Amino acid sequence: MKKIFSGIMLTLLAACPFTSCMDEWPVADTEDLLVTCPTDLGEVNFTIKEVKDEISRNVGTSTNGYFVVDKDLILEGVVCANDVSGNLYQTLLLRNIDTSLPEGDPGRDQCLVLAVKNTNLAPYFALGQRVRVNLKGLYIGVYSRVPKIGQPYKTSAGNWRLGPILFELCKSNVQLIGEPDPTAPELEPVDLTDDEGDSWLRASANRNIYNTPMLASVRGSIDEVQDGKKTVADKGSETSASCADVFGKEEPLPKIFGPYNLHDAGFGIDRTCSLVSNNSNVAVRTSTRNDISYTEILDGIHTYTGMLTYYSAWQIQLRDLGDIDYYDHTPEQPKGFVRNTTDTPWYPAHLTDPTEE
Amino acid sequence: MSKGLILMAAACCMASALPAQQRADSLRTVNDDSSDFTFTESQLDEDNDASQAVSSITASKSDLFLSEVGYLFSPMRFRIRAYDNMYNQTFMNGLQLNDVETGRFSYGMIGGLNDATRNKEGVSGFEANNFGMTGIGGGQNISARASQFAQGNKITLSGCNRNYVARAMYTYASGLTEKGWAVATSLGYRWSNEGVIDGTFYNAFSYFLAVEKRLGDRHALSLATFGAPTERGQQAASTEEAYWLANSHYYNPNWGYQNGAKRNARVVKSFEPTAILTWDWNISETKKLVTSLGYKYGNYGSTALGWDGNAYDPRPDYYKNLPSSIFNVYDPEVNNPDFLAENPFLLDQYNYLYDYWTSNEANRQINWDRMYYVNRKNAETGGDALYYQERRHNDQQVFALNSTFNGALNRFNKYTLGIQLNRTKGMHYKTMEDLLGGNSYTDIDKFAAKDYGMESPEAQNDLNNPNRRIAEGDKFGYNYNIFVNKARLWGIWQLNRGAFGLNLGAHGEGTTIEREGLMRNGRAPENSFGKSGTASFLGGGGKLSLSWRPLANHRITLSGSWDSQAPLARNSFVAPRMQNNFVNDLTLEDILSTELAYAFRIGNLTGKLTGYYTRFMNQVEQTAFYNDQESRFTYLTMTGIDKEHYGVEAAFVWQATSKLSFQLIGTLSEAQYINNPLAQVNYEGMNAETVAELNVWKNPVTGKAMPLRVIADGIRVSGTPLTALSFGVNYNVNGWFFEANLNYYDRVYVGFSQYRRLSNIVPHYVAGSVDASTGNLVFDVTQAELEEKGGTLFDANGNLVDTETSSQEKFKGGFMLDASIGRFIRLKKGKSISINLSLQNITNNRNLRTGGYEQNRDDSYTSGEARPYVFSKNSKYYYANAFNFFLNAGFRF
Repeated sequence: MKKIFSGIMLTLLAACPFTSCMDEWPVADTEDLLVTCPTDLGEVNFTIKEVKDEISRNVGTSTNGYFVVDKDLILEGVVCANDVSGNLYQTLLLRNIDTSLPEGDPGRDQCLVLAVKNTNLAPYFALGQRVRVNLKGLYIGVYSRVPKIGQPYKTSAGNWRLGPILFELCKSNVQLIGEPDPTAPELEPVDLTDDEGDSWLRASANRNIYNTPMLASVRGSIDEVQDGKKTVADKGSETSASCADVFGKEEPLPKIFGPYNLHDAGFGIDRTCSLVSNNSNVAVRTSTRNDISYTEILDGIHTYTGMLTYYSAWQIQLRDLGDIDYYDHTPEQPKGFVRNTTDTPWYPAHLTDPTEE
Repeated sequence: MSKGLILMAAACCMASALPAQQRADSLRTVNDDSSDFTFTESQLDEDNDASQAVSSITASKSDLFLSEVGYLFSPMRFRIRAYDNMYNQTFMNGLQLNDVETGRFSYGMIGGLNDATRNKEGVSGFEANNFGMTGIGGGQNISARASQFAQGNKITLSGCNRNYVARAMYTYASGLTEKGWAVATSLGYRWSNEGVIDGTFYNAFSYFLAVEKRLGDRHALSLATFGAPTERGQQAASTEEAYWLANSHYYNPNWGYQNGAKRNARVVKSFEPTAILTWDWNISETKKLVTSLGYKYGNYGSTALGWDGNAYDPRPDYYKNLPSSIFNVYDPEVNNPDFLAENPFLLDQYNYLYDYWTSNEANRQINWDRMYYVNRKNAETGGDALYYQERRHNDQQVFALNSTFNGALNRFNKYTLGIQLNRTKGMHYKTMEDLLGGNSYTDIDKFAAKDYGMESPEAQNDLNNPNRRIAEGDKFGYNYNIFVNKARLWGIWQLNRGAFGLNLGAHGEGTTIEREGLMRNGRAPENSFGKSGTASFLGGGGKLSLSWRPLANHRITLSGSWDSQAPLARNSFVAPRMQNNFVNDLTLEDILSTELAYAFRIGNLTGKLTGYYTRFMNQVEQTAFYNDQESRFTYLTMTGIDKEHYGVEAAFVWQATSKLSFQLIGTLSEAQYINNPLAQVNYEGMNAETVAELNVWKNPVTGKAMPLRVIADGIRVSGTPLTALSFGVNYNVNGWFFEANLNYYDRVYVGFSQYRRLSNIVPHYVAGSVDASTGNLVFDVTQAELEEKGGTLFDANGNLVDTETSSQEKFKGGFMLDASIGRFIRLKKGKSISINLSLQNITNNRNLRTGGYEQNRDDSYTSGEARPYVFSKNSKYYYANAFNFFLNAGFRF
């Protein structure tokens, strides 16, 4: 009897190594993963321009306002800005260029923000991805004068504003159309880098919801150091709020996008970009906590591309560090940047060489 | 004998063949051989996933109360006198097994070895013993000498619906052979593909081998080695809202479907192989020396999800995923029909999330596919994995030596002298368990990168290896060792003469603690790599117990003790993952404990009544948690903590007949903080300068900096019922055993958030005037508001006049009915069969909270505006198991 049981136990012992790990997993199959509507939302029957018309009718010139859409209004746009770096927060910029309309027609090239409650939208909504949105049940309106699709929420300041839609609503209201197209014309920013662009920005007639938001490029320089001009650092007053942080510090002073003392209540920082004409400024707005915030701003004139909006002035939000074009403007290697040859542009060291694409 | 040797060899082979697994669950073994017929594991919560480990259990046979409550109240995680388990010591062959870093004994290291660890002696905190100086919670000594095992074989098979569903154990003991050899071995296996909690599993092997050789009449050498490689999926606490949405108090947010199977994100693998060599020397009839030398190499690793600062929080019960994140459901100005009708989007979103949660089980669990998808998409552009699964290791290498000399001067006087030495090296690090479809990961602190920039030195976890690429299996994040050395000399003198008895004990103890950083952390470049220097503590104490028997069967005992002991190593560093700095004001912790007990037997009634008072002084406690408020890992250390524990305990047993008995057992106790301890906060992603700014409490009147404190005065000790009562009946006849107990539990408190009670976070009030009639200061706050939200009160000159801690939730009490039935069948030739069925929570009370904790986040934005989601009303809870059974069958041959 004992022999039998001893034999059983030895068998068990021998078998035990094969019982070891239960926590082993094959990789997940994500081929068919969709966070958006798997079925056809229906034919497009609305445009971004028409959304703005509706906003204009219902909200007027208010800074903030929103209303619910109760009909199946279906529009399309191409994702031309997303949260890839975290600088744009819960934001997708949809753009549609209707080539059937003539140049200059306000409906030909329009952008609209689709705000989604998730901090990691870029993997699902790549640049160049065409999406279809059924507005039924969603809200449209303006948030700080920026036209937007969203849902209302209470801000940290206690105000009701048009915020992001629940991420799960993408399953019922948003559809991906085809694959992302990196050559989509919607990815080409509106060029405002020259004098003509500068003039366009200065023209008050352009400051309306039909021109905001938009994907655009501006060119200029940022001179601020912390919250003062770099030349006044050694002249600043210790008690002056504008200069206290730089008082007594010697040049060269750190010049990054997101100095702590410039953080505002909206978790952002506005830096003043003086455009090449030196007649206009555009605020380069940066999130307080992302890679861009701590990127060194090099001396010189650079091109900045991003989501251009108008509130009380024009401001631009970069999509990522690749939206800063240092080409031909940086005699020295900027910190954190590399380039392959002297003829190719600098690019952030942790990104893929853009010239290889 | 040969079979024993074969088994021994096989067990040793197994030990080496299972290198990767270990500590944690809390298995209590029982104290007598009829345990198959009592509540054994059926009443033991083997899962210490909760914030509190299970009861400190003392198997004292001489104490009617202590001998019962340990397992009787274990479903509610009852801790005797609300003491932390570190005040209870477990020895094996006289060698103390408590972990010197945490102070606690890990029952997981002997999990599944019930039969092998059955022989033990337990004592209460003031009882004398011959194996060691125990703490105020008492102790137990397991004898693992092969010769003390009953000769023969035993097979035990169990089935249950708990953490595991099946258990098998086999034990063999040779008995002492004529040549003076004895071998005992035990093997066990516990398994469940899915435990009673969704998404959990259990896979645990255990082995035990003891060999003893008698050398002449006076000497014996024993070698015991054991271990329990264990792998198990964990349960997590969640909020009442999540439980409501899941329609179950046993909702587990730790798992999600992957390829159609349930994958748990938090998996513990533990294995603490231990070997103890014991030399017993019977010097004479009255003198005995027991010396044990032990070695343990413990492996403990627990997985957890990690994510980049930009990635969306993957926890399914993350507050932004819950319906109540849409609007403040506790605010009557918002949550009323008129307001909601005016703002229909609120209810729309609330209902949408409600439907989302309730429509599909997968919606309320971890979405593994999305993490894989995001990582793959990010990898396509050369990016790092945004989500990953890490394994946090707490390994240990322990050398220990205990030597105990027992002697007697005469039949009235006995004494015990002992020495304990322990050197422990704790190895703490984390490894990349799974990149979840990603290709790479860079060893930087993603949250620090947000604060200081990706290129900043602060972002680096190891400046000696900056931007190191991490593959699966690689160490990253943190890596450090903690060295603890302890030496203790102790002695006990027992005098029993006539009606009087006296136990007098004293000990002296030296402790050193040191950290060795193996990474140069970017937030603490000067004090993270290399040795911290040694903190040394010289402590000691004594205990005195006087007993008097005024009448036969009546004994009154008065006891008291004082103990000064070193703080725990785990509490001694301000941010041990990151830097070498010791906590400020680190000093010896003092414990004063007193007890008055009356034990009696009157006819068939036996009883014991005890009143006790214990005061802890200068304690140090540290909590480490992911801080949602600051989006970073946070350490909060309290020093100078004073606490009081007091109460009464009672146990009565009435032996109605030789077969029938009734028992009434209960305790009414209090355990609370009685001061506002000093606080030290350290955020893992911040450098010293920034942290220093956060550790400031400015006087609202004078503006001067004051020591940061936690407003904790009046907070109850959590995670154990402070009121526990039981009425039980036992009946045995003709080999049948019946037992039933109706238990009542009350006054369980939620674990309090120290962070939310920091003096620079709680509201402060400055007296606006003085009430002319009473002379009292007048503050712009009602007493009710103050008691709910807490606050600090200052007079007009900036003098702190009072503090009030914010309210701490007390859980509703309730009843639990347990029963067991068993049969013992004696067969021929010494064989026997025992069968036992234990039923727990027969009335299926699913509403008894065993513990929980407040979330470390306040209810307002930095602007002062109230958040829609009210963290203070959304603590996370654990519930006692629903109705469950444990069927146990043993065959001894």
